[in-house]
Amino acid sequence: MSEVKQKPVPRPAPESAPYWAAARERRLSLPKCEDCEGNWFPPSRTCPHCLSARVTFADVSGRGKVYSFVTFHRVYHPGFEGDVPYVVALIELEEGPRLLSNVIGVAPEDVRCEMPVEVVFEDVGEATIPKFRPRAA
Amino acid sequence: MNIADLSANVESARELRDYCSIAGTATSRLGRVPGVSSLDLLVEAIRNAVDDAGLKASDIDGVICRGPDESYSHHQMVAERLGINASFSTTLTNGGASQILAIAIATMAIRFGLAKTIVCGFGRDTWSRTHATEEARVRNETRPASQRPREFGPEYGYFGATAAHALGATRHMHLYGTTRNDFGAIATAFREHALRNPDAQIKKPLSMEDYYAGRMIVAPFGMFDCSLRSDAAGAVIVTRSDRARDMRRPPVLIKGFGTHNNTRGWFNDDNMVVTAARQSGEAAYRMAGLGPSDVDTAQIYDCFTYMVLTQLEDYGFCKKGEGGAFVSSGALRLGGALPCNTSGGQLSEAHAEGMLQIVEGVRQMRHLYPAERQVKNAEIALISGHGGNQVCHSTLILGKA
Repeated sequence: MSEVKQKPVPRPAPESAPYWAAARERRLSLPKCEDCEGNWFPPSRTCPHCLSARVTFADVSGRGKVYSFVTFHRVYHPGFEGDVPYVVALIELEEGPRLLSNVIGVAPEDVRCEMPVEVVFEDVGEATIPKFRPRAA
Repeated sequence: MNIADLSANVESARELRDYCSIAGTATSRLGRVPGVSSLDLLVEAIRNAVDDAGLKASDIDGVICRGPDESYSHHQMVAERLGINASFSTTLTNGGASQILAIAIATMAIRFGLAKTIVCGFGRDTWSRTHATEEARVRNETRPASQRPREFGPEYGYFGATAAHALGATRHMHLYGTTRNDFGAIATAFREHALRNPDAQIKKPLSMEDYYAGRMIVAPFGMFDCSLRSDAAGAVIVTRSDRARDMRRPPVLIKGFGTHNNTRGWFNDDNMVVTAARQSGEAAYRMAGLGPSDVDTAQIYDCFTYMVLTQLEDYGFCKKGEGGAFVSSGALRLGGALPCNTSGGQLSEAHAEGMLQIVEGVRQMRHLYPAERQVKNAEIALISGHGGNQVCHSTLILGKA
C-alpha cells in the first residue's frame, strides 16, 4: 500500500532538467535570455520575449507573493490523502514570473492574495521541490 | 495592423453576417447513457439533427467536429458511420471553444464554396468513463494518462480543471469582493432552469442552503460550483440562409462570431480575471453589428460558476468587478434581465463542452418552447465557448429569422 500512497515526483522534460538540478542544490533557478535579459517560467529553449535561442539559467531571489491560491479538500491522488486540506498557490516572484507551488507553515484559512512568501526546499524521494512559506514583508 | 487593414477586415466580416443559418439541431440522450460510446452519442445527435432539418444524410457534404481527446481523425469515423461523403471535413482541438469554432469555419467554408451543408457536433461519454471503475471515479480524470502534466503541478498535489478555474475565482474575489454567495446565485438559477427541462441530467431542486451544504472540492469551489460529468452529444446543421428557409424548422440566423486565445497562458497577465471572451465578444459584436444591450439571452460556457460571472463582465453585460452584484440581482433567471443558460447549463442540464449551449440558443431563437421555458420576445442570443487550458474562447451570436 505504501507504494501506492507515495506522492508523484516531477518527471522533468529535457528543457526543465537544469531547473530541477538547481532545486536539488537548494537554488531556485529560472531560464534567462542572454540577449534581452528577460526571464520566464516554465522552462523552454526559446526566449518568449525576443525569440532568442541564447537561453541560460540564473538564480532568482526566491522571494515573491501569493498571486492566487486554492485549498484542496478532495483527494485526487492517494499520496495526498493525509494532507487535505492543503494549499496550492500561484506565486509571483519578485523577478516577475509566476509558478505553482504549495504554501506551507500557515493554516489554509490564513493564506491571502498578495501575502509575501519565500522559497523553502523539500525533499520528496529523489527529488527536491521548491515550496513557499510566509515571510515578513 | 493599420486602420485601413482593420476596416477591410471588418468589411469582410460583415459579409458573413446572416449569410448562413442553423437549419437543424438536436441532442443525443443526455446524462447517464451507459454502454454507448462518445462516437455513437455524436452519431445519435447528428441523426436527430438531420431529421430535425428534414434532410437526409446524402444532403450533408461537410463534417466538422471535435473528437474525444484520444482519437485520431475523428470526423472520418463520424462521417463513415453516417454514410456521408464530405467535400469539407476536419476535427478540431480547441477544447470547449471548438464547438462554436466549428460553426465559424462551416460558415466560411460555405461562403467560399467548399461545401453546401455542414454538420457540426461534439459528443462525450464522460459520465460512463469516470464511473467505469472505482479508480476512475476517485481520480475523476478525463484526460488520457499520456497527456497529463508530468511536472510543475502533480508534485504539489495540483490536479484538474477545478483547481485551475478556482485560482481565477480566488483572484477575482480578492480584487472585487466577489463572494461564494454570488457563485451560489448562478448555480441555483441554472438549477431552476434545469427543473423545467425534462431532458436534464439533474432533477433535484437546489437552494442556497443546499449550495453551501455541498462538500468542498477545491476551495473556493464546492461541488455545486462544478459542472456535471455527462454522457451527452449535440449537433447543428449549417447551411446558406436562403436554403435554410425551405427546410422543416424556422431557420436561425448566424449573425456573428468571434474567437480569441490568450495563448500566453492562464497564469500570465490578467488572463484568469479578464478572459478571452472580451476580444472574442468584440469580434462577434462587430460582425453582427450589435452590442451587449441587444442580447436577449446568453448561453455561457459554465464549466464552473465563476466562469459565468467573469464572462458576463467580459462580454460587457456589466462592468468588470460588478459581476457579483449582477448575478445576485436575479438577472440570470428566466424572467430576469438576461436569462442565462435557460436549459440548465453544464452545471445542471448536462456537459457537452459548450455544444448544448448552442442547441439551446438555437431553440430559444425558434420560439417553439412552451411559455415557461421561452425567453419572451427574444430575438438575439449570445453563446460562448471556453476551453484549451482555460484561455481559448469563441463567441456565437444568433438571431431570430
